[in-house]
Formats: sequence, C-alpha cells, structure tokens
Amino acid sequence: MSDFEPKIVVYACNWCTYAATDLAGTSRMSYPENVRIIRVMCSGRVDPQFVLQAFADGADGVIVAGCHPPADCHYIEGNYKAFRRFELFKKVLETFGIEKERFRLEWISAAEASRWVQVVNEMVAELKKLGPLKKNLEVKE
Amino acid sequence: MTKKHVSRTEGESKGEKMTEKPKVAWYWCASCGGCEESFVDLAERLLKVFEAVDIVFCPVAMDFKREDVEKLPDGSITVALINGGIRLKEHEEMVKLLRRKSKIVIAYGACSAWGGIPGLANLYDLDEVLERKYMEVPTVENPKEVMPTKKTIVNIPEAGIKAEIELTEPLPVLLPLDKVIEVDYYIPGCPPTPDVFWNALQALLSGNLPPKGSVLGASQRSVCDECPLNDTKPEKVLVKEFKRPDKAAPKPNECLLAQGFLCMGPVTRGGCKSLCPQANMPCTGCFGMLDGIVDYGGKAISTFGSILNYSPLEEKEIKEAYGKVPDWVGVIYRYSLAASKLGHKAGLKKPKRIKEVTEL
Amino acid sequence: MSEQISEPRIGVYVCHCGFNIAGTVDVKKVAEYAKTLPNVVVARDYVFMCSEPGQDLIKKDIKEQNLNRVVVASCSPSLHEVTFRTAVMEAGLNKYLMEMANIREHCSWVHHDKEKATEKAKEIVRMAVAKARYLEPLEELEVEAEQSALVLGGGVAGLRAALELANYGFQVYLVEKSPTIGGKAALIGYVDPKTKGAEIVNKMFEMIKECPRIKIFTNSELIQFSGFAGNYTAKIRVNPRYVNEKCTRCGECEEVCPIEVSNEYNFGLNRRKAIFLPFSNAYPPYYAVDHRVCVKCGECERVCRFGAINLKEEPKIVELKVGALIIATGYDPYRPFKGEYGYGLHENIITLFQLERMLDPESPTKGELIIGGKIPKSIAFIQCVGSRNTTPGSREYCSRMCCTTAINNAIKIKERYPDTNVYIIYKDIMTYGSDESLYEEAGRKLVQFVKFEDKIPKVSITPEGLFIEVFEYTIQENIRIPVDAIVLSIGMLPPRDLEELIAVTRVSCGTEGFVREAHLKLAPVEAPTKGLFLAGCITGPKNILESIRMGSAAAAKAMSLLSKGKLKIEPMIAQVNEEKCSGCAICVGVCPYGAISIKKVNGDRIAYVEKALCMGCGTCNAACPSGAMQHLGFKDIQLLAQTRAVFGEVR
Repeated sequence: MSDFEPKIVVYACNWCTYAATDLAGTSRMSYPENVRIIRVMCSGRVDPQFVLQAFADGADGVIVAGCHPPADCHYIEGNYKAFRRFELFKKVLETFGIEKERFRLEWISAAEASRWVQVVNEMVAELKKLGPLKKNLEVKE
Repeated sequence: MTKKHVSRTEGESKGEKMTEKPKVAWYWCASCGGCEESFVDLAERLLKVFEAVDIVFCPVAMDFKREDVEKLPDGSITVALINGGIRLKEHEEMVKLLRRKSKIVIAYGACSAWGGIPGLANLYDLDEVLERKYMEVPTVENPKEVMPTKKTIVNIPEAGIKAEIELTEPLPVLLPLDKVIEVDYYIPGCPPTPDVFWNALQALLSGNLPPKGSVLGASQRSVCDECPLNDTKPEKVLVKEFKRPDKAAPKPNECLLAQGFLCMGPVTRGGCKSLCPQANMPCTGCFGMLDGIVDYGGKAISTFGSILNYSPLEEKEIKEAYGKVPDWVGVIYRYSLAASKLGHKAGLKKPKRIKEVTEL
Repeated sequence: MSEQISEPRIGVYVCHCGFNIAGTVDVKKVAEYAKTLPNVVVARDYVFMCSEPGQDLIKKDIKEQNLNRVVVASCSPSLHEVTFRTAVMEAGLNKYLMEMANIREHCSWVHHDKEKATEKAKEIVRMAVAKARYLEPLEELEVEAEQSALVLGGGVAGLRAALELANYGFQVYLVEKSPTIGGKAALIGYVDPKTKGAEIVNKMFEMIKECPRIKIFTNSELIQFSGFAGNYTAKIRVNPRYVNEKCTRCGECEEVCPIEVSNEYNFGLNRRKAIFLPFSNAYPPYYAVDHRVCVKCGECERVCRFGAINLKEEPKIVELKVGALIIATGYDPYRPFKGEYGYGLHENIITLFQLERMLDPESPTKGELIIGGKIPKSIAFIQCVGSRNTTPGSREYCSRMCCTTAINNAIKIKERYPDTNVYIIYKDIMTYGSDESLYEEAGRKLVQFVKFEDKIPKVSITPEGLFIEVFEYTIQENIRIPVDAIVLSIGMLPPRDLEELIAVTRVSCGTEGFVREAHLKLAPVEAPTKGLFLAGCITGPKNILESIRMGSAAAAKAMSLLSKGKLKIEPMIAQVNEEKCSGCAICVGVCPYGAISIKKVNGDRIAYVEKALCMGCGTCNAACPSGAMQHLGFKDIQLLAQTRAVFGEVR
C-alpha cells in the first residue's frame, strides 16, 4: 500500500477556505498533491449528494470547508446549515461502515493557510493508513 | 407480417386468435406481491387492459416457466413489467432473458426501481441476513441450523430414488433492476397506485413514448404539491426537534413536517395524491426521488439538516435532536438504499452459510 | 438529461504565468491533454494569458473558431476572473461562459514534483472543462435606484445620518416615534466633560430646520416595508398629535388635563400630563397629546385660545418610495426589578439616568442634587447594574458608557457639593480611551472607589437609613457604608419595540439581543438585507460620539449604494424551476435575507425569489428537496459534473 495515493475532494467556500488555499499558494507553502478543490460560494451550498457522488466515484476522502461559526459566514448563516446537514451525514456514514476519518467538515478562515496545509497533511496520512475506499466498498471473501 | 401465437392466455384474452395486440410480460423478483395487487386494484379498468394487450408471461397468475420466455423471438415482447429487487441469481438470469426478449422493459414499483425495502438488507452481511431469517426470528425453530443449500441430493436406494434439487443462490447485495439490465422506464410506488399505473399505461399505449429513462404515470413535483396540508405551513418551516409518529401524535390538518415529523413528502415524487399524509401519517417516500436528484437519502439529509433550527454553537441540542431518531438510514433510504450512491454498507463479506451440497 | 444550451465548443487556454506555472507544470502537455477532452475545440498555452496579446488569443478564437465556452487555466479567479470575463464579453460571448482552472495557487505554487504537479494540473483543467460544458449565459439586471432614504429614529445617530444624506442631495424622510426628535441625548449625556449631548443635538436641529430635503414625521411609526434595494415602499402611520403649530406654549391646556403619567422625558423623576411639552428645545416646538393615554375629555381643546388643538385628528397613513432605510431606533435603559439593590423600595435609590437628568437645569429640581427632599451628605454609585451578569435579570455584556457617565457625574457632584461624600462601588472601571483621565480626576477629587468581585453589594434599607454592604476586594474585608442616596448605574437594553421592528424590516438579532450587522468585518453598519443600514445603539451599547459616527457611516454606505442612480443585480442568484416547484416552502426559512416567498401561480404554491435581495449563497439550492431551486452558476448539474471529472468522467 506504499504506492497508494489517496484522492481527496474538497468543497471550499469562496470567502474563507478558498481564500486560504490561495494564500497557501501565495505563501509558497508545500503540501501533498492529493486534493482537488471545487469552489462554491458558501459551505451552505454543499449538498451531501455531491459528497456521496464523490465517494461512489472513487474519492478516498472528502472535505467540506467554510467560515467559522458563529459570525464569519459571508452569507450570515450558510455555515449553520452546513454544520447541521453534515452532522446528520456523519451519522449516516457511520451506519454505512465508512470510517469517520474519510469525511471532514472544517472551518478555515481566509487567513488560515497553515491550518489548510495541516488539514491536508493530516488527512492524507490518515487515508494512507486506511487504504482506498473502493476496496472497502467491494464485497469481501 | 405473420404473427406467431405464443401466448398462453386462455381465460385472459378473448380466445385464441391471431392478434396485433402488444405483448406484455409480468415478472416478480424479490417482491412482496403488493405490485401484483396494484395491478388487480385496477378493478374494472383491468378489463380494458385485457382487451388491449396479450399477456405472454405472468408466473404469479399461471404456471409460466422460463422455457416459455426462451421460446419467444428476441424483441417480441412489447413491454416487460418487472417488479421486485434483484436478490437471487435466478432473478438476474430471468431479467437478462426478459431484456433480450423485450422491446421495452419497465421497472415497476420501488423494489425494482431502487431496491425497495428488501434493499435494506444491504446494510448487513448476507450471512447475518440468512441467520436472522432461518434461525433467529421468533417464528422459526431450526435446531439443526438447516440453511439454504445450492444442491440437495435425495438418495433413497430402497425406493430407487436418486434426485437432485438445485436452488438458486442469493447475490451478495440486492440490486435495483437498472444495475443488472438496461431499463427503459420506471413506474414508482410501493406499490404504484392503480391511477399511476393506469396513467403509465396510457402513456405507453399512446404511441408517444417519453424520453428513455423517464418515470411514468407520476408527477414532476413532490408530494407537497398535491397535499392539502401544504397550505397550512407557516411562513418558515423550521423545527427544534424531530418527532416519530409512534411517540407523538400528529395534529390533524397541520403540515406534518412543520410539526417536526419526518415527512418525506417534500423529497418524494408526487402522483399518489398524498394518501399517507391525508391519513395523518408522514410520507415514507415510496415514490422515490424527483428528476435531477442523484441520491434520495443525501437530499433528505440536506433538507432535514436545513430545517433543524440551531446554530453550530448548539451542538448538544443538534445531536440530541438527531439522537431521537434511532434509525436514520431506515428513514431516509427506506425504499432506495440499493440505488443510493454507496448502495450498501462498506466491508461486507461474502456469505459462508450457504452450502454447496447436502445429501439427504 | 442534458442541460447544455447548445453544443459546447470549448477553448482551453493554459497560462505559463512566466515561470510561476511553467516552472513546475508542463503547460504544453496540459494543453495537449485538454485537446483530448470532450467538446474542446482548441487548446493553447501562452506565457501571460492576462496580458493584451493573451486575451487577444481568446478573442480571436471565439470569433474564428466559433467558441461558445472558454476555460482559462491560470491563477486564482480572485485575481483575473473579471479580466477574462471582460475579454470574453468584448469578443461577443456572454461573460458568464468563462470558467477558470486554478493551476497556480492550487498547484504550481504548492507542489514541487513536476510530474505529479502536471498530472494534477491536467485534472484541474478536466474539472473546469466538465463544468464549462454546463455553463449558461446569464444576464445582469439593472434597476433604477430611488435617490431617497428613510431614517428611522430621530436620535443623534439618525439625525447625523439624515444630515449627511441631505447634504449630499438625497431626499430624507426622518421618522420618529415620539412627538419630538432628539432622542435621549437631548436630555442626558455628555460628549466630553464640558459638552453636553444636548448641545450637539441643538446644533443638528438648527441644521435640520434649514434643510428643505429633510421631511420630519414625528409621532410616527414604520408599519410596513417592502421591495428591494433602490426600490423600497415604506408605509408610515402618523399618529395624531392633536396639537398644531398655532400652539404658543402657554401651558393652559396642561393645567386642565386630568390625566397624569410618569414623565419619560425626566426618566420618571416627575409626572406629566397627557398633553405636554417634552422639553424646552423639543422639535417640533409645540405641545403634543400622548394619544396612548388621552381620554378625549375635551378640556384642553376648550381652554385653548389659539385654536391649536383638534381632538378629532385621525391617524394618517403615508406611503413613501425610498432607495434605502437607516435603522437608528436606539435603546432603552435597563429596568431594575423591584428590590434590585433596593430599587423601588426607597425613594432615595435612583438610576444613573435619573441622576444625570436631575442635574440638568431643566429638571424638576432645576439642576440641584435633591434626593429624598434634601441634598445628600453621601451618595454611592453602584456600577454594572443590569450588565455583566451581576444580578439575576442582568445581561452578559458590558454597557460601555456607564463607567464614564457615573464618574463624570461623581466629579460634577464633588465640584458643586464638596461636602458630599461620593462613592463608586465598582467591579471594573471601563473608562476607555481619553475617558481614563476622568478616572484619575475623580480620584484627585476624593471620590472613593470601592471594588467588589464575585459577591455583589447588598443594599440594606433600615430605619437608620440606607447601608451598602460589600466585600471590598482590594482590602479583602467586609465593609458597611452608610449612604443617603444610591445611584444604580444601569446599562442599555435593546428597545422595547424591537419585535415590531424585526417583523417590519426582517432584521435579525445577535446573541446579545441587539440588531445584528451583516458581518462585523466585511460588512459593518449594514443589515443583511441589501439597502438596510444600522446606526447607533440599536446594534449595541455605545456613547454619543460613537452613535454619531455610525450615523455618518450608515449614510455614507447608503449614498454609495444609491448614488449611481442604478443598481446592478448579480446574476449568479437562485432561480426557481416553476414546473418542478411544489411550494413546500423549505427554501423560505433557509434564506438569511428573506429573499424567498411563496406566491400562488395558477392556483399552485410556487417559490418566488426577489432577485435584488438574493445574495447568491446557494443554501436554498442545497435545501430544496426537489431540486427545483438552482443556484445559477453553481447548479447541481454543474457541481456534480465537476465532482465526477475528478475521477475521469467528463459527461
């Protein structure tokens, strides 16, 4: 499994997390290549359907990231809805036997480029230990 | 064009004669028989159906065999209506056969469309399911732990009997029909209501076939559109807790979702005339998802999370509210687990309990 | 089911950005790869795509290759999304048919392995192409903006806002609930130890009187407010004043009025009649009848020699069209409960507001410190009453102005009554900024400061007089102070009619109960709804100068919104597919801007998005159970395509 490179899909909100990922770039921070970032205007836009599609297509991990509650959301409360939806989503993932390390809901503000890098590094390390999700979704002997 | 009369429809059509009527096949896989009852529930309209079509294969009603289908030329069945989830290898074989022999295949009912309630077995190893069914349920006494066997050999030399009985085997997960064969249309419901079935038939027989993959007979909008309680909603639908109908009594004449009950109406395709909410029971979602939705349960999560009115600082209250519902997957994927993006629980193991051979 | 408008013909442009991208990512390979993707008609690489020649490449291809979608793989959209949108628009293509692929900040600048970075860049481009295939042309809407504003609240914040707007040239409607403008600062408060708030208020009155563009409605309430930024309709109810400008302020009506109520203009220090003059410099400068308590006995009308009273006056509804609303409805003083530090149980226990009013020459005591019929020989201020979680009814927050106010008054008392002992019983002294010098001065003038911590002081009312018992924190001892009078330094609460305000304007409150600004850092002074602004203590306790400044800020924001005469509505907003919408109304409660409502269309309940109010977050799209509500530019089909493309699918 030393060759296994997990693929992580990230839904990043425009005003906070996406800006942080940009800042990581401007600051020439270094992190693994495993993430693919999809820009949304608000973490409140992220539908659990997208996350399930990502897992079904082969994502080993998914991150949904937005602005810190209670007051940072550019659209006031989009992150509240994201939080509530993904609390339930996590319960459902558990019933499906999917390891909780594979999904993260993170709050990363526009200034927190190092937090972004930390999250990526952590998740890549955890997923390398867990292995590809596709393997877990097959029916085993 | 000569027509080969191959249907065994004595008593069901007007005698044996050359016919241009569309040929219809009706097959059931892992089915409860409810879809068959919905067919019968057409009542007087049944007569019109029998006038209009030739039923060439219908094992629920008469002693049709696989060979009857194999004998038919490919593509000669106009419409095959298949209900029930694909649970057994036999189901898989039969539906593939019917696909070859049919111009149009319709997934009839929630089970064939999305796996239905039998699809909930996909949360368990098949061994767990078998053990539950054959050993653990209160109505079963099985001290010798007899389990299904693929081949049973009955050998009674004194009587000169040596026979083999072969039983089909279950697939490791239950599949909806469209994961096994190409499906042309879907008729939703558990079961589809007679009106929906009738509407679908009209659409098919009209000659104006809708685009392939369409859901027939039902609405483009959700159950809320036809529910009289929709107008009773407050301006904002926001709740502080989720209620279950076994623990709290729904107030009549008030929107069930607005009261906090987990009514799947908003997420579910309409067409049923909101029968359940009108009987004061929250909708359970048997007409499945609307066009454009890719995962019914995922959408339901998004909706319920949206209306639970707490801030992230009230994490405890949120967890408590969710904690009041013991089986979320059962609520949001009751009819559609097998068709969900994940389809089944991760880490399932192949069954060991099914024996290859038993000798009696 | 494809939602593609026409067969996409996509041009992909991979930028080198000098060495910034090309130094790590093999841009030529990426462009080659892009060419293999579905619907990609042309794929190029170029050294600086944002330069003129770079943009010209795009424009040329749009014309010559009949492109209808463009993907630019370069830096972050936060830098050049506008640049490339404009370039595309100049070539005749709708500017929203351009998608960017971030292969610099997200790739070349953070990865070092050239092979892996190139592979990742290819995937990022693939994701952008997948989304681009589902992009649709979108149109910005322009609406006319009314060059007028409604200022709700005639206190210092509202007055300042009104003057700024009027000076700039806007028509201003100033709506005040009470019979006079001026608010609380006309009665109490200092902006510095020498200058009363009332002086500032009077100066503003002078300016307002001369300003033809400010129309004042007193005795008036905002009862309805609808529309969208630049185009609001406000309904005002003008309650009857019963007295007109013929009034000479002779006061004969007041003598015969049988109704007496507590005088809120003296904070309860005395009583007034139902017909009264709020204070000497009130504006409009004549009497008013309190329509809430008047029994219409007719006596005042009978004695008035000038025909200034008409008790048959009816309330009027006035409809105004305005471009913006500034909410400056202020605060209410904290109301101690009966028994809180003895309040209401002894006439010598008063509030800070009552004390400061008392020292005003216009007060019932003509400015003399007379409590319980005499000048107190000792007076103690108890701080933080109603604030900082001290007593059971208290709020959590600090009310900001009470320390400075108490100390300011303590100093004035010491100056005028040098023999009176003055104590300030405090938890912490919060005289911030230049007010710190007041604290020092108070010490020099021998005001005695007594500190408590967790154990709050106890007031004893005995036949021998009033006593304050407190565990003094600095000396760590229980002490008992006999005093003639006690002043409770009460804090600020949101105004009593806040619920009505919320119902009419749809503003919302923060955790402390005051009205919340849209974003403390990114949108101060604004309410979440576009075109609504906030000024003064309605958003939380502050002093007079701070309120005035906020009034200026709110006015400036309103002006900046309206001054161009037109407002652009961003098209990446929510859109309802009416055929799919079942009117389940889940979107309505989810929108933080109140932009969505349910309307009946041919008898069906259908969601309706007020375009000018929608800010384009997409939360309603995710909440919508049927997928009828879609976020233009970030639709389900677009984001799903982008997701699937991560793993190779482009369809």
